[in-house]
Amino acid sequence: MTIPASQWWLRWKWTLVAVCLPILVALWWAFRPEKLWINEKVNEAAPFDTSGGPQPILTGRFEGKAQQTSGRATIYKTPGGEEYLRLSDFTAPNAPDAHVLLGRGEGDLDRIDLGPLKSNQGDQNYDLPQATDLSKYNIVVIYSGQSHAVFGLAKFEPF
Amino acid sequence: MFRMIQIAGALAMLTCVTGFGQEKAQPLETGTFHGKVHNTSGRATIYKEADGRLLLRLTNFKTSNGPDVHVVLIAAKDADDDANFLKSSTEKLELGALKGNEGDQNYAIPAGTDLKKFQTVSIYCERFNANFGAAPLEKF
Repeated sequence: MTIPASQWWLRWKWTLVAVCLPILVALWWAFRPEKLWINEKVNEAAPFDTSGGPQPILTGRFEGKAQQTSGRATIYKTPGGEEYLRLSDFTAPNAPDAHVLLGRGEGDLDRIDLGPLKSNQGDQNYDLPQATDLSKYNIVVIYSGQSHAVFGLAKFEPF
Repeated sequence: MFRMIQIAGALAMLTCVTGFGQEKAQPLETGTFHGKVHNTSGRATIYKEADGRLLLRLTNFKTSNGPDVHVVLIAAKDADDDANFLKSSTEKLELGALKGNEGDQNYAIPAGTDLKKFQTVSIYCERFNANFGAAPLEKF
């Protein structure tokens, strides 16, 4: 004789609860599914003084193209609002006509010439023309006019 | 007496010099996070503070919220999404539980940490041994 469903449930419900509940709790603890929807936002300040002096705003590493170029390109903003480019840890091939350019992308030839490369090694600064739109000009190119070669390219990312 | 004044003078000069020489925190290394599976992005920068302590700071940071997520340094050049450091026996250095899955945050790095060895920051889910995102660090 089969037991009606309602009776079966009455007889076993506490056993079922006792078995299923720990399993559900364990699954919840392991996966914490509510975290898919809940974000934990924090906003800690830097624990050191960031006021005064130029602050880095954008930075990127050089990748060698035609020849080996390495180092870092960083845009700093002074408290007065002026921006400048600083190359650090920098090495490029020595060429008489190498220039530092800001560009809008690898293939785009709309470029701003910041001047001849001061030296193929070492830290160096370049002033940016006023009101340079750094959201558009987001790469630095070391370009040799003589050989029409890109020596190196660095893409900016927010610091 | 003169000697006392000499010593006092020397001490005063020393505090002056160290006071002036006290620079602000310097960024040593920096890198950006990549992680597609858990949408991790932002920047990790290691600073050396004026007193020599090392500090990791995450900025523009975002990852997916998850259970038991930690910030670790790993002895590797980079890490793939969901990499299991236990299986690959990659050495890791715990910096603490992730304070939030969004926003700027700071973590102290233990004194004497070899940054030449620990080259990557990982957002690591300890419960499932999965890398949520990694930021390979390069010289600033």
